[in-house]
Amino acid sequence: MESNRTILRLIGRPEAGPFALLVLLIVVFTSINPNFISILNISNTLAFTVELGLIALAMTLLMTSGEFDLSVGSVFGFSAVLMWTLFNSGVASLEVAFVAALGTAALIGLSSGLLVTQLKIPSFLVTLGMLLLVRGTALFITDGFPQRTWNAAGEPLAEILVGDFWIGPLRIYMSLFWFALAAIVLGYVLTGTKAGNWIQASGGNPDAARARGVKVNRTKIYLFMLSSTFAALAGIISSIRTSAANPNSGTGYELEVIAMVVIGGTALMGGRGTIIGTVIGVFILRLMRNGIIMIGVPGLAYNIFIGAIILGMMALHSWLDRRHQEAT
Amino acid sequence: MAEDLIRMVAIKKSYGKVHALRGVDFTVRRGEIVGLLGDNGAGKSTLIKVLSGAVAATSGDIYVDGEKAIIRNTTDAINYSIETIYQDSALVTQLSIARNLFLGREPLRGPRFFNRLDQPMMDQVASDLLKEVGITKDIPTTTPIGSLSGGERQAVAIARAMHFDSDLIILDEPTNNLGVAETQGVLQFVRNARDSGHSCIFIAHNIHHVFQVVDRIVVLRRGTVAANDIDPKKTSIEEVERIITGMEH
Repeated sequence: MESNRTILRLIGRPEAGPFALLVLLIVVFTSINPNFISILNISNTLAFTVELGLIALAMTLLMTSGEFDLSVGSVFGFSAVLMWTLFNSGVASLEVAFVAALGTAALIGLSSGLLVTQLKIPSFLVTLGMLLLVRGTALFITDGFPQRTWNAAGEPLAEILVGDFWIGPLRIYMSLFWFALAAIVLGYVLTGTKAGNWIQASGGNPDAARARGVKVNRTKIYLFMLSSTFAALAGIISSIRTSAANPNSGTGYELEVIAMVVIGGTALMGGRGTIIGTVIGVFILRLMRNGIIMIGVPGLAYNIFIGAIILGMMALHSWLDRRHQEAT
Repeated sequence: MAEDLIRMVAIKKSYGKVHALRGVDFTVRRGEIVGLLGDNGAGKSTLIKVLSGAVAATSGDIYVDGEKAIIRNTTDAINYSIETIYQDSALVTQLSIARNLFLGREPLRGPRFFNRLDQPMMDQVASDLLKEVGITKDIPTTTPIGSLSGGERQAVAIARAMHFDSDLIILDEPTNNLGVAETQGVLQFVRNARDSGHSCIFIAHNIHHVFQVVDRIVVLRRGTVAANDIDPKKTSIEEVERIITGMEH
């Protein structure tokens, strides 16, 4: 009886649908190609997953507060380019260049946040403008050419960010550790803290929140800075791992990240967000990309599946919401 | 006579050439429920908006506890212990009952750095408050507001005002769109709030609801006070209706 109720409560959670889909994907892919759960494949998938995943975690909080950021893909490319340009030209050590790149990203987020909250321009338009501005700057300062990154080897910062180690036969990148840490910290912030309460209230009913003394604008500005900084961190990690800082990298990531977040159950219009759901959403999209290639579906068909998953998940969430309201 | 909690003097409000309030004097005494009545456009909601900080008066003064009060926005009003409850807008539907009650004034526990909500304390206080306000049904305090009925939402908003010791609770159409049983519930919540020492302003279109709960009725008509001291026990509903429409004689 009691365990029945626990099961019912688990099924009612917004993460239940995405979790079931994740399990289904793993079962289907593995039954078609057993190599899908081979050590090598898991290791490869994890390495790339966490870079987009970091952005998705920060974006979850931003979207819960009722805003979103289309400029994260640009910031992803720009920050790595900025860091390596500073370092390669001898202006700064790698550590200083790293801090400068993160600081610049935070300023980009601050600008977006101020424009959205002070001038009341929708975040779609502000961050679309920022997307072009930042991408344009990255292309302009590099003349469109990738920056050299191969002298990262041996730098302690590179080891901390993307160094790898082996757990038995499983190769683990440090970035996975940073992703897990960020998920735990941001999950705690969203569900267990006063800040999290303000984030949810800012997205759910900003007028009511303001009337209670919640600093809605400040909350949103901080979250814009957070998502931009996380995008920069992800871009830098990616540039070290792949030994390439390309001014074009990260193109289209903003939509993939937003897809990860909404598939996990966070509401596009704010008020409700889940870090656990986002982690599941991140894995669904990455496994999908990896899995359909492993089972022999042409990679070009990837978007068909992703689109179908997004639509299916949205239909599921909307159905659950409606059922929830009718039950009262 | 009980002392005056709120005194609004010669309040005028114009929107361009439209005079919504033409010099209104309005008082609320400690521990009383005042019914504010008037036809559409009589100025009720403008008067309430001035008092709750949603709009600024063109001229006139407000005194709280005899001291002159400057109310420029809703935060000022809350600082003067004036709480306005609009039917839908006061709560965040996605958040739980407990979290709505403490929104903006969250209790923390543990080291400050962790910013950790004192959830057990919030849940305990919330469940006590729901009983105090008169909810008899057993509702978990973790229930999101979105799953509550209209009357229960009113109860949560009233409970919040009671807990944070708002001296004045303004209820704007609290019984709109509610069923009979729910309405009776809300009226009882309002009585309970008064009995624990809070003053209330009660605005409703339905005069019957107003008569059931208020101690005194004030009628506005075309931006002025048409009647200031109607005792619902000594006056008939028909008489009040005539005052509202301006067809007294």
